[in-house]
Amino acid sequence: MYGWIWRHLPGNAWLKALISLVLVLAVVYVLFQYIFPWAEPLLPFNDVTVDNQ
Amino acid sequence: MGVTTDQDEQTGAPSPGSDSPSRARPRGRGPVATAVSVFGELLITAGLVLALFVVYSLWWTNVIADRKAHREADKVRDHWAAEKDPGPGALDTKGGIGFLHVPSMKNGDVLVEKGTSTDVLNDGVAGYYVDPVKARLPMSGKTGNFSLAAHRDGHGAKFHNIDKVREGDPVVFETKDDWYVYKVFAILPQTSKYNVKVLTQVPEQAGVTKPGHYITLTTCTPVYTSEYRYVVWGELERVQKVDSERTPPKELG
Repeated sequence: MYGWIWRHLPGNAWLKALISLVLVLAVVYVLFQYIFPWAEPLLPFNDVTVDNQ
Repeated sequence: MGVTTDQDEQTGAPSPGSDSPSRARPRGRGPVATAVSVFGELLITAGLVLALFVVYSLWWTNVIADRKAHREADKVRDHWAAEKDPGPGALDTKGGIGFLHVPSMKNGDVLVEKGTSTDVLNDGVAGYYVDPVKARLPMSGKTGNFSLAAHRDGHGAKFHNIDKVREGDPVVFETKDDWYVYKVFAILPQTSKYNVKVLTQVPEQAGVTKPGHYITLTTCTPVYTSEYRYVVWGELERVQKVDSERTPPKELG
């Protein structure tokens, strides 16, 4: 999978590494900004009030 | 490109991909080997994502919440400073009604806002209950229970150190005009999350039977989970007027 991505990136090894880094940062950004905030309330880790189901 | 013959593949299955071998898969790995490799990479990815989620929950949400809480707190303080004489609608509950100081929690002043929904608490504040039992605000002057909730971990983690609070410790609630000094008199280290009786206006579970001016702090326990609730009760000791310097009461010294 990652090998496949690596081979399909354009340019030489340096450029590939740079693009990979940007891609990783983009994924982390999407996770922190959208996926985790969405997932967190669905997980039973941080309910602090008495009352809720 | 490094294309090997089908005989080299462990599966020994007749290769359907032999018509375009150079593009189909690299280094002549068989379909099973490729599948295993992709599966392994997915597992590694899942592990990394879970690790990132921990980082997010325990660190990033604090960063975000503290930033937001500071902004809101500044707004409230500015509002107090600007509005010298309380005009109509003096009790503005929109942006926060005051600050909670618990010296034994060592977390500075915690903004208190209305409600205990996730939206409110995720902004790094403590919220007073409106449901299932409505908190009696100390400013009302009536007897009752001022019940609050805040996060134990993440999102500001304002009540993270609730286990450091001992009986006799002061809990001070600061409003525009008054310091309400409470003294902790009962602690319930673990109770069911359905136990709404801890919030009643006379919290009998705390061992009191008469109406009084009580404060209740709730959060989740043990740390990092939400299995149970941790409850701390205090009773109002005195009310001190805020002076022009906003000198904190001696309990916060």
